[in-house]
Amino acid sequence: MLLNYLKLAWRNLLKYRFFTALNITGLSIGVACFLLITLFVTDELSFDRFHDHAGNIYRVDADIVFGGSSLALAVASDPMGEALRKDYPEVQGYTRIYTSNGSKLIKKGNVFINEDDVAHVDSTFFDIFTYPAISGDTRKALTEPNTVVLTESAARKYFGNTDVLGKMLETNDAGGTLYKVTAVIQDMPRNAHFYFDFLFSMKNVQYDFGNYLSHNFSTYLLLRPGTTRKAFEKHFPDYINKYVFPQAAQFMQLKSIDEFEKSGNRISYQLTPLTDIHLRSDRMAEIRVNSNIQYVYIFSAVAIFTLLIACVNFMNLSTARSANRAKEVGIRKVLGSERKTLIRQFLTESGLLAVISLVIAIVLTWVALPFFNSLAGKSFRLTDLVRPDFLLFLVLLPVFIGLMAGLYPAFYLSSFNPITVLKGKLNAGARRSGLRSTLVVFQFATSIILIVGTIVVYRQLNFIQNKKIGFNKDQVLVINGTGALDAQYRAFRNEVEKLPGVLGSTMSGYLPVMPGARSDQTFSKESVMDPRNGFNMQCWRIDENYIPTLGMEMKAGRNFSRAFGTDSSGIIINESTAALLGYADPVGKILYSADGVNSEPGPHTIIGVVKDFHFASLKQKIGPLSFVLGNANWATSFKVKAANVKDILNKVQKIWTGMAPQLPFSYQFLDESFSNMYRAEQRAGKIALVFSVLAILIACLGLFGLASFMAEQRTKEIGVRKVLGASVQDIVGMLSKDFLLLVVISSVVAVPLAWYGMHRWLEDFAYRSALPAWIFVAAAIAALLIALITISFQAIKAALANPVSSLRSE
Amino acid sequence: MIKITNLEKYYRTEEVETVALNKLSFEVKEGEFVAVMGPSGCGKSTLLNILGLLDDPDAGSFLFNGIEVAKFNERKRADLRKHNIGFVFQSFNLIDELTVFENVELPLIYTGVKASERKKIVEEVLDKMVIMHRRNHYPQQLSGGQQQRVAVARAVVNNPKLILADEPTGNLDSSNGNEVMQLLTDLNEQGTTIIMVTHSEHDARYSHRVIRMLDGQTVMENIMI
Repeated sequence: MLLNYLKLAWRNLLKYRFFTALNITGLSIGVACFLLITLFVTDELSFDRFHDHAGNIYRVDADIVFGGSSLALAVASDPMGEALRKDYPEVQGYTRIYTSNGSKLIKKGNVFINEDDVAHVDSTFFDIFTYPAISGDTRKALTEPNTVVLTESAARKYFGNTDVLGKMLETNDAGGTLYKVTAVIQDMPRNAHFYFDFLFSMKNVQYDFGNYLSHNFSTYLLLRPGTTRKAFEKHFPDYINKYVFPQAAQFMQLKSIDEFEKSGNRISYQLTPLTDIHLRSDRMAEIRVNSNIQYVYIFSAVAIFTLLIACVNFMNLSTARSANRAKEVGIRKVLGSERKTLIRQFLTESGLLAVISLVIAIVLTWVALPFFNSLAGKSFRLTDLVRPDFLLFLVLLPVFIGLMAGLYPAFYLSSFNPITVLKGKLNAGARRSGLRSTLVVFQFATSIILIVGTIVVYRQLNFIQNKKIGFNKDQVLVINGTGALDAQYRAFRNEVEKLPGVLGSTMSGYLPVMPGARSDQTFSKESVMDPRNGFNMQCWRIDENYIPTLGMEMKAGRNFSRAFGTDSSGIIINESTAALLGYADPVGKILYSADGVNSEPGPHTIIGVVKDFHFASLKQKIGPLSFVLGNANWATSFKVKAANVKDILNKVQKIWTGMAPQLPFSYQFLDESFSNMYRAEQRAGKIALVFSVLAILIACLGLFGLASFMAEQRTKEIGVRKVLGASVQDIVGMLSKDFLLLVVISSVVAVPLAWYGMHRWLEDFAYRSALPAWIFVAAAIAALLIALITISFQAIKAALANPVSSLRSE
Repeated sequence: MIKITNLEKYYRTEEVETVALNKLSFEVKEGEFVAVMGPSGCGKSTLLNILGLLDDPDAGSFLFNGIEVAKFNERKRADLRKHNIGFVFQSFNLIDELTVFENVELPLIYTGVKASERKKIVEEVLDKMVIMHRRNHYPQQLSGGQQQRVAVARAVVNNPKLILADEPTGNLDSSNGNEVMQLLTDLNEQGTTIIMVTHSEHDARYSHRVIRMLDGQTVMENIMI
């Protein structure tokens, strides 16, 4: 029986080649989109799940509100993990990762290479996380100082092989430190919220350990099975009372935690499940920029809708062409076929079509993978499609598509009364069908929503790129790692400054394009800090050229100057800080910094107020920030003339390699770094654009098919109308108006949904573009035009046909 | 074999109720060849549809081999139909996408006959209908007469007790028409009961008995000699 179904299905597909081609093209593109997005989504959802204890690992996050500024941190204090382990038996273990030192220069032969993927970790790192060892005992590998665990790639890069236990690695730490390789592990999977090539012993971190108030360590707890997050989080108030409050009391003259909280301050902790970090955590001091669950939802919806649009084509074309199948249904019923037998037959047809489409879709996916990888920033291979988990999905997919696309046509076609259809009385595939119209509305409403989505995402990206961000990011060449030049630093900077086209330079530890970097410190308005006058503020060490080189503007007071010896204790604050302090004229006022619990607050005179500039993502409001004079020379930025950029870059590199051939030359342009902060949004925009175009294309294929079918059905009517004097325009209008009405209805349906969706998406940004009405009008007009062009092709063809031949054929 | 008593069938629109069968009663014995005649709209086709279990009567009784089938559900009707009744239509009603062989094979598939057995039975029937040489052709590649021979082959392939023929020669020239009528006569002589709706007095002469209908009722019965 199945063979019979398949045979007939195959012949039907061949007989109606045009519609088969439309269906297969639409379904293949739809399925290919679905496969690509499914790869993306499953990858996003797989982050950090490869650890044996993934379900029981949690990161400790801190939420601190102090003096009107709030910090949502992905880090905890250095002693917190140990305190929790000691006090609460639910904690099976903990480990910490310290990345605040940033990158390291590591010596290979005679030259240093700048390595970004480095971290200092506790010796317990491998008790918590699962990274298979190639050599060495990872459990004991980092118990001693001056030890390092390498990944396989790092071992091969520096030593040429993985047999490197006991070998030494030199870094630029503290003027040059040797680390002994104690283990080699397999490369860390990239589907994780952190991955490193070098894991150094925590014992080498130079840090004022024991401070419960200073949060700089990514801290992970392994909770015993059966312990729930919510239950464990109930311990945090006790922990704060026992450990945090005593230090805070000493620091801020506090009598009770109530006093602290009554002043509007708050400190609290929460656990974030390891497997939630990548998609649901966007805190300060994340190890890497995470993704967003919203994109998983959005892309999943796009994938499903693209596939649905393709399935709708099949449903629409199948039911529209039902008259062609009606006779067959009638005969089969007369010969004893039951309805369920016919349903099975029609489902076999849709299943066969789905299988053919899947095969073509896999080929399309293979062809599109390199492009998609660059679009999504992933590195999928075709073999990912045949992973065991995905294979089952691939087998089930055509069944699902076959059912989804075929179920309604199967029930519809099999419901025909044999007497009616054999008498040829069935006007199946009639011009108007409620369901078919609804499905077309669904297709175009979805397309309009996608068009609106794409426009809004691009407008927001454009808004970000062109927003007045408070500094000039253009033509700023940043040379990284200039601190490593040591004694040659000044000479290097002087040499570069002398180059024609270099307009100025500044050294700094922080640039306003580094959302992860932070240097928050506690300040107070009075010499004796208490909960009412203390507040947190970013404090960057800069030189006197920082503000002019980066094109920042002073709102009041002045910039640092070598002419004023007292500027070493001066401070420049931003407008937000002035507002937070409630100072209408802050210049001349004094702020007191407290650097650690045992230090006395130091006075800083406010010498100027810099206009607010964005130093974090535009998703966040501008917070309090200050500048003090200092010698942080992590990087040096040069303002250059637009015309000479390439030439200047070459010359700077020459100067660098002339002075420090052993050090890597690394640079970036400030505007590029700025763009990189919005990479997730840019990717989302591009993906949305590509898949919107494809979804619209598929919808148009369906509309094209329907229009051609309708034109075919009305051949005689068109002939009669033409004989009676109808013009080509009349005929085109007649054939188009029904469809265009559906597109108009689609717009009415789509606009509120699109407005709501995009409004929600934009809410994620503290600074966002508007959502003007023209976007919705433009999307509706675009859909209308696309539909008109699609239909016109068939309508004009039908209208231009010779009426005599159409009437004769009738 | 067939006994209908006071059979009624109405067609209703919003405004009009048309009586298709009006308390119609008659009997057909096993092995009979009965022709049903009458003007268009007299209810012939409605009667045939009900006899073929394609339609329900609104009232009355329909005994098929002594079993009341008037209220059978779709599954039971399909089951009874596929095992007992063969159909021959004026417009042949072959499935265009299937070959001659496959069209004839179809009823056997629905009755669950094994593939190897099907092949044997179909070939026998095609041989009998002198259409074997066309077994791999599609309906569009055959003449009208050949198509109707295929339709007859399909109707008899399950060895039904009853063949219902709806103007079987209506689309054929006289020569092909005679050929088809001879086929039906041969089948009847081999024991198959045949009920045939026709407008043709010539074709009716092949039957044993003619039932003449008007306005949904029997107006006359002629025994053909």
